[in-house]
Amino acid sequence: MTAGWRKKAKGMVLLAFLLACLLLLSGCWNYKELTDINVVVGVGLDRTEEGKVLLTVQVAEPGSIQSTSGHGSGGEGPTKPVFVVSHEGETIFGAIREMLATVDKKLFFSTVQVLILSERLARESLEESLDFFQRDHEVDYLMNVLVAKDVSPAEILAMESDMDTIPAVYISETVENTSYRGTGKKTMLIDVIKDMDCKGKQPVIGQITKAGENMVRTEGLAVFKEGKLVGWLDPYETRGYQFAMNDIGSAIVNIPAEEGKMSMEVFRSKAKIGVEFEDGEPACLMVKVRLEANVGGHEGKGKLDAPEKISALEEILEETIRKEIAMALEKAQDEYSSDIFGFGMEVHKYHPQYWKKAQDEWDRIFSRLPADIQVDAKIRRTGIIINPVIKEH
Amino acid sequence: MFGRIRNKSKSGRNNSEEIVQTGSYGPIPPSADAVKASLNEIFSNCCDFILREIACGKNGAIRILVAYIDGFVSKNELNQDVVRPILDFLANEESPGGSSIYNRLTDCIVVNNDIHEAADMHQAVDGIISGEAVLFIDGETRALVVGVKAPQGRQVQEPDTETSIRGAREGFVENLLTNTALIRKRIKNPNLKLEMMHLGDRTKTNVCICYIKGLANEAIVREVRERLKKIKTDAVLDSGIIEQYISDNRLSLFPTVGSSEKCDKLAGKLLEGRVAIFCDGSPHVLTVPYLFVESIQATDDYFDHAFFATFMRLLRVIALTTSTLLPAMYVALVVYHHTVIPFKLLLTLAASQQGIPFSPFVEAMLMIVAFELLREAGVRMPKPIGQALSIVGAIVLGEASVAAGIASNLMVIVVAITAVCSFIVPPLLRASMLLRFMFLIAANFLGILGIAFVAVAVFVHLCKMRSFGVPYMAPFAPLTVNDLKDAFIVVPIWAMITRPKILRQQENVRGAKGSQRQEVNIQQ
Repeated sequence: MTAGWRKKAKGMVLLAFLLACLLLLSGCWNYKELTDINVVVGVGLDRTEEGKVLLTVQVAEPGSIQSTSGHGSGGEGPTKPVFVVSHEGETIFGAIREMLATVDKKLFFSTVQVLILSERLARESLEESLDFFQRDHEVDYLMNVLVAKDVSPAEILAMESDMDTIPAVYISETVENTSYRGTGKKTMLIDVIKDMDCKGKQPVIGQITKAGENMVRTEGLAVFKEGKLVGWLDPYETRGYQFAMNDIGSAIVNIPAEEGKMSMEVFRSKAKIGVEFEDGEPACLMVKVRLEANVGGHEGKGKLDAPEKISALEEILEETIRKEIAMALEKAQDEYSSDIFGFGMEVHKYHPQYWKKAQDEWDRIFSRLPADIQVDAKIRRTGIIINPVIKEH
Repeated sequence: MFGRIRNKSKSGRNNSEEIVQTGSYGPIPPSADAVKASLNEIFSNCCDFILREIACGKNGAIRILVAYIDGFVSKNELNQDVVRPILDFLANEESPGGSSIYNRLTDCIVVNNDIHEAADMHQAVDGIISGEAVLFIDGETRALVVGVKAPQGRQVQEPDTETSIRGAREGFVENLLTNTALIRKRIKNPNLKLEMMHLGDRTKTNVCICYIKGLANEAIVREVRERLKKIKTDAVLDSGIIEQYISDNRLSLFPTVGSSEKCDKLAGKLLEGRVAIFCDGSPHVLTVPYLFVESIQATDDYFDHAFFATFMRLLRVIALTTSTLLPAMYVALVVYHHTVIPFKLLLTLAASQQGIPFSPFVEAMLMIVAFELLREAGVRMPKPIGQALSIVGAIVLGEASVAAGIASNLMVIVVAITAVCSFIVPPLLRASMLLRFMFLIAANFLGILGIAFVAVAVFVHLCKMRSFGVPYMAPFAPLTVNDLKDAFIVVPIWAMITRPKILRQQENVRGAKGSQRQEVNIQQ
């Protein structure tokens, strides 16, 4: 009995030894401490005159961020919350690696908040530039992608922000704000990749401009066609586009009123787009929007206490929003000939036979089609008061 | 497995026979002087041994020896119940002793109820050393053993190790008979069986197997008996020693024998069909079979609202997992899996790591070892100092090591949470303590993958184990749906109709039929 037990114990010890070897000889495989990485928060991509890639990274210094909020955890850290480095290279990945010659630690990309593309790069080669970001395993597909208008990505990334210690976080938060208002769009990397792959829809990417010494503006959109930037949408066109795309969380729409203006707060909006067919050929683009709004402010005269007045307001609101949508649609059709709305996808879904033969020239067909935009607005509430508090004459 | 046990028990039995022979002192000599000489020899150099000679009857013709150990017997009782009646009743006795006196003593003189006969010297000595008074009558070869034991040890009080909010405050004490009485008090049933045996060649400790006949599985009771019999040791000082001898898997970190100080808990276990082992001198009573799920059960669960009890169970499971895995997970995330950490948390983590000269693994090891040192010191220290020590440890060490830049403040939080959680499931305290180190090492070398490896090994081990023939991980593996009512979730006590099925009791249903609540229609 003891002999058997001893044999068993021997076996156990051997097994434990082998398992320990398995564990320990792997040599810590991918060991990297948090202090050994550079936390990249913003990436800028530009193309130089010579066709090289100019890569700019904004790297956060966690130590100094912590100390600005009042807690030093020992050790002298750098004083600035971020540093910005640029490097020119033949390819993006090449530039990233070559940058290690000037930077102290390996760059860590899954914390990137914003990817900013220059206008030149967007006009020349969007698809090619984004390949690395699709291929690398460390990249977070949920990062914001923006196109810089009238300014270089390096310039934007070099800006300091008064509102957040990390400028890249400040930028991504403004994107969040404007996308909720409808005048901007939060385009994540994954959205861009999806649209790039889809024949029935052209990608759009949020736009970023400089708004002051330390401020950026993230309103408007960059319109792409076949992987290349073709033009821009201004904030109102963007909102029209967003209304049609069923992407509005809330929006303030100003409408004219008696001797002044009124601001309507749209708080719910549902949209549907489609393509009407006649005799097997597309005849008309359909956009249907149903929305609900409240009276947010009445900076004019006139009472609101009768149902007729409210329905008159509803009509004005409908007209205003219809105009915004029409502006965006016309620009996409006439100026850019790029189906950013994804009408093509609707055709693909409901008329696959037709789509098969027409898909290659869809953008041309799309540009020629008339549009029918229906907006149905309901005004629900007028706030706490009904009529403006003004002395009657 | 069982075969091995049987072999072992055979050799054990041979051994115990030998001891009986060497330990025997022969018959009791009829002459009082011879008895006196013999006892004085046996108890030579025992200053607490008292041998008193009473001469009574006419002219002191009857000689009676009273032998006992000082401090063990209640002198008051001895005098009232034994010595005084002897002196009173035998004052005018004329016959010179012998059997007739012995019979009169047992029948009508000695007031005490607890008397029995010692047929030879060996039994008489046993009586003396176990705290009873022994009467030797000149001319008689039998001795009278009178149980006049003085109450020994502490009062019944609330156990320090297991406290509960709801439920009885009574805890077991060191005295075995007090303990068995506490159980009898709760289970008033002649089917509550208490089988006494003596373990330890030198200490002769009283050990008592307790079960409810007709409930407990006979095979398990038999197995307990056999395993106890085969214990070969000269000293059984605590039930912990028995526990180590009878465990199924002696090298496992996980307990396969339960122990409790609480009477109501033990009564509950007995009523589930388990077997208890009392050990004289130890307030910890063992229960077998002991399953993994019992470590997250508490008596409060059954006395409290079922929803609350379920919540507490889940909390305990979370605490158990946290206390074993948290430092390892932290290290794995910080040194391998940066990509899964949310951005803002990553910044905080990175900031707290700034300027720390050690790797997270070394840091974690240092902090955990420091904590274990403090814990152990707290246990060993006298209570008032212990408290001061824990304050020094918690505040000064933690705060100072962060301020000095030796440990990151997040690591201090991680270790503190781990420490708190480790106290929530006391039966697995030691297991989770050692596993914590294993997981930590694995995490440092292979990250989450390493943690997964060790976790698989631990689960395989757990599922392989048995406690007295019952699968350790029941009711989860093998899945016993019926028993899940008292595992992670607790159903209300009135819905807990059956006992844990896995124990294979003889009678599975609690209570008679119709004991469930019936709707009473008052309005008719």
